[in-house]
Amino acid sequence: MPDYTLKIRRFDPESGRPAYWQEFGVDLPEERSVLDAILRAKDEQDGSLSIRCSCQAAICGSCGVRINGMSRLACNTKLSEAAEDGRNGAIVVEPMGNMPVIKDLIVDMDAVHWKKVQRVVPWLLPEGDPPAREYIVDPESMIDVTQSMACIHCGACVSACLSLEVDPEFIGPAALAKAYRFVGDPRDAHTEDRLLDLAEDPHGIYDCTHCFACVEVCPKDVAPMDQIMRLRRRATADYGIKDQNNGYGHEKAFTDLIEKYGTLSEAQLLPKSYGDGSLIRAQVKPAALKELGAKFPTVIRGLTSGKVSPKTALLHHKLQDQDQIRRIYEEVESKEDRLELNLYIVGESGGEEEGATSEGGQEE
Amino acid sequence: MPSHDVLVIGAGLAGQRAALAAAEDGASVGILSKVHPVRSHSNAAQGGINAALNPEDSWESHAYDTVKGSDYLGDQDAIEIMCKEAPNEILTLEHLGVTFHRNEEGRLGTRAFGGASAARTYYVADITGQAILHVLYEQLMRHDEVYRYEEFFTTTLVLDDDGHVAGCVARQMRDGTMELFAAKTVILAAGGNGQIYNPTTNALICTGDGIAMAYRIGGPLMDMEMIQYHPTTLAGNGLLITEGARGEGAHLYNAQGERFMENYAPNKLELASRDVVSRAEQTEINEGRGFPDGTVALDITKVPRKRIHEALREIVNVGRDFAGVDITREPIHIKPGNHYTMGGVKTDKDGRTEIPGLYAAGEVACVSVHGGNRLGANSLLDTLVFGRRSGKHAAHHARNHQMPEPPHSHVDDEEAKLRELIGRERNGRRVSEIRTELGRTMDEHVAVFRDEGGLLEAAQTVQRLKEEAKSVAIDDKGNVFNQDLFGAIELGFMLDNAECAIVGALERKESRGAQFRTDYPERNDDEWLKHIDLTLDGDRPNVSYSEVTITQWEPEERKY
Amino acid sequence: MKLAYWPGCVSRGFTPELHGAMAAVAPKLGLELVELDRANCCGAGVIAEHNQELVDALNARTFALAQKVDGAAGMMNICSTCQGAQSECQERLDADAAYRTHINEHLEPEGLEYEKGGAWWNKNFLWLLVEEIGLDVLRERVVRPLDGLRVGPFYGCYIVRPTRRLGFDFYPDRDRYLEQVIEACGAEPVAYAGSHKCCGFPVITLNRETSLRQAGRHMADALDAGADCVVTPCPLCHLNLDLQQPEAQPFVERDLGMPVLHLPQLVGLALGLDVKALGLHRHVVKTDAVQDKVAALAAAA
Repeated sequence: MPDYTLKIRRFDPESGRPAYWQEFGVDLPEERSVLDAILRAKDEQDGSLSIRCSCQAAICGSCGVRINGMSRLACNTKLSEAAEDGRNGAIVVEPMGNMPVIKDLIVDMDAVHWKKVQRVVPWLLPEGDPPAREYIVDPESMIDVTQSMACIHCGACVSACLSLEVDPEFIGPAALAKAYRFVGDPRDAHTEDRLLDLAEDPHGIYDCTHCFACVEVCPKDVAPMDQIMRLRRRATADYGIKDQNNGYGHEKAFTDLIEKYGTLSEAQLLPKSYGDGSLIRAQVKPAALKELGAKFPTVIRGLTSGKVSPKTALLHHKLQDQDQIRRIYEEVESKEDRLELNLYIVGESGGEEEGATSEGGQEE
Repeated sequence: MPSHDVLVIGAGLAGQRAALAAAEDGASVGILSKVHPVRSHSNAAQGGINAALNPEDSWESHAYDTVKGSDYLGDQDAIEIMCKEAPNEILTLEHLGVTFHRNEEGRLGTRAFGGASAARTYYVADITGQAILHVLYEQLMRHDEVYRYEEFFTTTLVLDDDGHVAGCVARQMRDGTMELFAAKTVILAAGGNGQIYNPTTNALICTGDGIAMAYRIGGPLMDMEMIQYHPTTLAGNGLLITEGARGEGAHLYNAQGERFMENYAPNKLELASRDVVSRAEQTEINEGRGFPDGTVALDITKVPRKRIHEALREIVNVGRDFAGVDITREPIHIKPGNHYTMGGVKTDKDGRTEIPGLYAAGEVACVSVHGGNRLGANSLLDTLVFGRRSGKHAAHHARNHQMPEPPHSHVDDEEAKLRELIGRERNGRRVSEIRTELGRTMDEHVAVFRDEGGLLEAAQTVQRLKEEAKSVAIDDKGNVFNQDLFGAIELGFMLDNAECAIVGALERKESRGAQFRTDYPERNDDEWLKHIDLTLDGDRPNVSYSEVTITQWEPEERKY
Repeated sequence: MKLAYWPGCVSRGFTPELHGAMAAVAPKLGLELVELDRANCCGAGVIAEHNQELVDALNARTFALAQKVDGAAGMMNICSTCQGAQSECQERLDADAAYRTHINEHLEPEGLEYEKGGAWWNKNFLWLLVEEIGLDVLRERVVRPLDGLRVGPFYGCYIVRPTRRLGFDFYPDRDRYLEQVIEACGAEPVAYAGSHKCCGFPVITLNRETSLRQAGRHMADALDAGADCVVTPCPLCHLNLDLQQPEAQPFVERDLGMPVLHLPQLVGLALGLDVKALGLHRHVVKTDAVQDKVAALAAAA
């Protein structure tokens, strides 16, 4: 039986000592989990070693930790894989990040995660009295929001979030995914209010830096960042919500520029962004002027360093065949409903596998 | 001292449903749980929840299936209530936001499940329990009139001088403070006792705390020998593969490639009730037709890939992460494994126990709607229907009752006990050793097939372990999250549960539902169509009997 | 090796030195670059926030143009963000035949069609260096080993996450390539906390503080780890780390002065190219210290 070394970050709040590292040797078969190893060490060597855990099947969400720096569940991380990634043969286990440590591997989820969940008004708000029977809704819409329902609140994404690392006020990936669960639910009657709220909050949907850390670590394929991007799509494309964070303006300016030129003109992106996509409005909105002022040194610096020529800054060439880009825009944007392919619904190899096309699984 | 009209212990589906129902009725409610509510084991219910909601279906049909599934040990009045109230319960959940699967018309869609004569299982992919649990928790977050005590470990229930429940003592896990709770009524919703087995599909928290605490203050337990082995669990670690897999069309094969259920249940095949399928598998394995690792094969590859993706996503992950098998491409090895306790704290149709003011709902309780064998997808229903009924009844009861004022000595006594435990010198066995031996013993002797010799051996072992448990010592001397301490307390609860299960199994000299005695292989309605009640007497359970309620379905031979 | 080459928007806009450096490096590595001058912006994650079908059609168009380049081994980009944004679209296009057909309908009037993957690929220069050219070949061609130059890698989120989308199943070391390339160039890779984190660029216009805190912190970490410079395969990261570095300094309350090189610049230095040809003088944060070290190496040789 292989011998594994766990290097565990320990902290006893009652000892007055700072956190420290302790190593434990554990004999277990390679297919067993890191949680099994921690529990083995706890059972046989030191009962004071503390970790929340319960189901051992990646469904209760208790055992979120960082293993070799990656936020994940201890129960569905195989020892053999963890040892391979470990440094100097040891499997390094630490408490999750972005949350205060209470003891050993136990962090304060209430102070961060649950507070943020509470922030997004996490319950369904239908209009009026419920129907006599069930609400009738599109079957795919239920699968669609089930992706966010699949969240087990383990905190791995919160722990890994690179925005939270610099802005603790950020609502964060788990809570925003939870928000999408209601925004995407056709039974909810407050879609626009919810979107407005999350778009206007300086720490809301536009505070996500699009780093994919949450997508990478989520053990349940919730893909929180994808849900945040959907919130943005709903806010801008469906509801035209013009937020104070410039989310709408930035997206509109960017999208319009590509429609016009085919490639991006950074020099025009900035001023247009602050005018909700319009260069003119950017000149007359006081807030926009202030923001632009803050950016001005950057542009000047770009010019003086020889990085950007005045010509590049002021003129941008249209692509050859730009009419084709415009045609595609026209075709897509003239549709009443946006088309989205959710790989959570069709599968990563959804329509490519035999028997898995839309007839395959839709019958009742 | 925190005081509430209704104090709920346990925050899984039964507890949360009870709390919401009591609050709706205007009671002041507190809900205590040793884990954060969304960590509760209700999460693990994958397949769905039964209800005769389709116009073509009827509650009578659902009730009959349940009665037959219970091997006629279920109380038919309670079963009728559960099945009648099921459709409304589903609709309530739907209105609260559960993302139930829809059919093409956008209406609630169903899947087939074991032991059922119609497809009446409503579901959310294969995370039904999780989805409902989280939606109920959303409601708890919304209604701040329900006070939540998250990560509070209850050590004992408290009675007043008249024997009416008066509250409980609990330890706040985060800082170790002991708290006395006063309550006009207490609803136990602390779940089952699967951890007395090893392996088990149950979470580490399922240590039978509620069952033991009720038993220790004199509450009778019922049918504790009725312990379900689920037909499809992973060989190594006991993890669950949902019955939904068979509901979607998966087959079982022995090592010779035979679809052996044809020999045991020619009509329902893989969808016979769980006790039947588990026994069939165990017979195949015992008679040498299993695989060398003591398993048979579950073949899910028959199910269309897109359907697997949509409806069985979680077990794809379980197969991949915990068995290294891509279940969409190859069969997976499974065997029967400990899963559910049909028995528990004896209650009536409103969740009332025999102790005034004390209620129980969910797996901790025995109403009994499951009798000798629970049908798949009836457990969630049980938690919700009887959780709600307990909550409502408790709220009413509280209205006509004064707030008790239990003396502080209760806390002092508990604190002294725990201090002694923490301060104890190490000279005995470790908690983990005793727990492991208990689990192995139960899985060896109190499993799918039982006989007197094995049960007596198990009884002896458990007696010895009880003695050894008195001198266990722990390493952790601190106040903050002293899990070592909680482990020792849980061990005591588990040993009481195990003792009662064995006593019940020895007592029942027949084969019914999950209890199959190789030395008494027939069902014996003349002598044993009755519940076995266990009440603490000294430090041993005293056996008595109570009648099974029969309303419209007389016992008959059970065929699938 | 002949390649369909997508330089992206930024390398031809605000970081022209990248475009120049790549053009200078390519022949040294035997790369024949056929620039996709009719192709369009990848959307940089922003158009995807607006409309998924739109961004998928736009990138399918780029892929289709690349697939039409005769004799090309594949498509190369020089921007982590292009790589990530394009891979995301490609994942959807490859996943579902019906969807792909639908998207291709947008390209039909132009006579274009994206054909599903197979042997066709789209790789960032970093991946191409390691997987198609090979570190051994690179080492052979190094004429000026960058001895003693301490380089901090900075990947850019889009090229390292999510691993499942980005082919890590086949190439598990893709998050260690920069270190390997730095070593192959004779320099010393410097480990620091920020190497795989976010530069903050995507929110520079949405939440300036979050954005600049990130940029500042990573450069400070690299400085503390003793790096002479950092190197990145992403021009958008470059914008936030180099162009915005003076703005980021107040957020970490210190002077940084951390030069940020584009990947082709670092490779170009090792291949013996002139610092001017590589555009090292066109940075906001002065690269003098790097240039001096290189000059000293040249003098010693």
